Amino acid sequence: MAAVLLLFAVPVFVGSLFQKNVDHYLKGIIFQWVSGQLFLWACFQLICVPMILLEMSFRYVIIWYSAVLALSVLAAAFLAFRGRRKAVSLSLIKGADRRQSVLLWLIFWAVLGFQLVQAVRMTYRDGDDAFYVAISSITQDALTMYRKQPYTGFGTELDARHGLAPFPIWIAYLAEITGIRAVTVAHVVVPVALIAMTYGIFYLLGRFLLRGKREPLPLFLIFTELLVLFGDYSFYTAENFMIARSRQGKAALGSIVIPVLLLLLLVLLRQLQEGEKILVKYYVLLAAANITGCLCSTMGAMLCCLLVGIAGACGAIAFKRWKILIPMAVCCLPDVCYAVLYLILD
Amino acid sequence: MWNIVTELFREYMGTGLIVILYLISLAYLWVREQRKYARILLVIVPVILLLLFFNPLFARGLYHLVGDEIYYRILWLLPITVTTAYAAATLYGRLTGRRKTVFALAAAAGIVVSGSFIYKNPFFQRAENLYHVPDSVVHICDAILEPGREVQAAFPLELVQYVRQYEPTICMPFGREMTVERWNRWAGLPDEMEKEVIDLSRLAPLAKEEGCHYIILPEEKEVIGKTSEYNWEVFLRTDGYVIYRDRDFDLKY
Repeated sequence: MAAVLLLFAVPVFVGSLFQKNVDHYLKGIIFQWVSGQLFLWACFQLICVPMILLEMSFRYVIIWYSAVLALSVLAAAFLAFRGRRKAVSLSLIKGADRRQSVLLWLIFWAVLGFQLVQAVRMTYRDGDDAFYVAISSITQDALTMYRKQPYTGFGTELDARHGLAPFPIWIAYLAEITGIRAVTVAHVVVPVALIAMTYGIFYLLGRFLLRGKREPLPLFLIFTELLVLFGDYSFYTAENFMIARSRQGKAALGSIVIPVLLLLLLVLLRQLQEGEKILVKYYVLLAAANITGCLCSTMGAMLCCLLVGIAGACGAIAFKRWKILIPMAVCCLPDVCYAVLYLILD
Repeated sequence: MWNIVTELFREYMGTGLIVILYLISLAYLWVREQRKYARILLVIVPVILLLLFFNPLFARGLYHLVGDEIYYRILWLLPITVTTAYAAATLYGRLTGRRKTVFALAAAAGIVVSGSFIYKNPFFQRAENLYHVPDSVVHICDAILEPGREVQAAFPLELVQYVRQYEPTICMPFGREMTVERWNRWAGLPDEMEKEVIDLSRLAPLAKEEGCHYIILPEEKEVIGKTSEYNWEVFLRTDGYVIYRDRDFDLKY
């Protein structure tokens, strides 16, 4: 129950902060969930990394991040009350087109259900878990962060390089708050949430790209499911990571952060094309996605910057809106800072 | 550098059929996609990324920074799944009548035939419990853990990667680093433990040197030597393993 609250209810509530004036095709509970979680992940990264580098106890991360979580919920509640807005929008349900092919939607839900059941029922033997999951377990048990060798348990100097991408510490936080062992949170709880969220992002991408054409949407989603389920043609694909190693930050980078960046950049370029004003909170989300990339993997900083940089430059050239490059560069600043830290500490 | 990068791309492509489907989708969107913003993100940006990926100068610089093991992740920026699914859904939307169904089934079959079903991967197994580690690890760890303190135990290589995921208070003289061939850290104690026949006169001193309270060996392994000579005792037999306890090391503070 606490896991559902932390991984779904709270992000959805916090995500209502980003709901106003959002693109019509993104409006709804799924966008709230994704944007709220991105914002919270970014907060976690900003709180956690300095504490890791200062070799502080995990207790402080728990206290400070919980405080930020509570403040975010309060802010969302306040805005909802002030604007008499519903904090949780159910437009997805209300807007459901009855003419959509019920069969295709049923197939989509059945295949998604299958994947979620498999995430609990099956396990993927991956050696990297001995590092990442062990770090979560150590953190929950010893309240130290990156100061014990995960393979053996011996004390060591601070592993600052890995500490720059503390996704395992986020898992330890979930474990500590929910009272579930970190190993179960990592192998069962997180995969179920993240796989579902990935399809939520695909849903948003489908809705945005197909713009109102409701009929092909379930088919789009079924194709994404097939491409994921049959994505084991190589060991290296993001689809393989998404299903097989969903508890690792790099999987979240490939299957959540990069698709979300793609979605946000699509929105940005569309607004540039239409000559619309781009709201500050949109940039907040873009920056949050970039920071989340750093939380997931040390490579995340570089990948996010690369994607935002190329897309931003293309947009600026294509729509002759050069000024857009400044806020986009600002959104990438945290990545640059983490990348510089990585190079210094490596 | 060119060879390394092309080899990485080949490995990423696997059989190459899904990437061919992606390239067809890319070409389709190049021709049919009217909206500039969608063309930029789904067609132009991926092409630039591919040019960068294969650019020897870019590759050399980045390779130097991030290492050879993760350079391929640039390819994650190619929205293969979204683009292929979007192109198929768009084409489906343009068709009418029975053609729609035929196309949807053919496209789905194309993906199924081109890809490889992820749950057929040999690394996937039925989870034995909600911890997703083998039951044997759970039982051994629960048996040897000592509340309020850490315990040192040497495990067979097939178990080392799971132990500290499940129970971080159990320390090990060697861990997963021994199972990765390319790290080449094979040495002393694990070497003795992995032998077909265990010679206690060689294993016990090495285990004592590492301060092991417990040594876990597969039950089917032949053991030469008397455990009592080394102050060892059989602590427990469980799940096909024998747990030896070294009484030279006190567990009480």
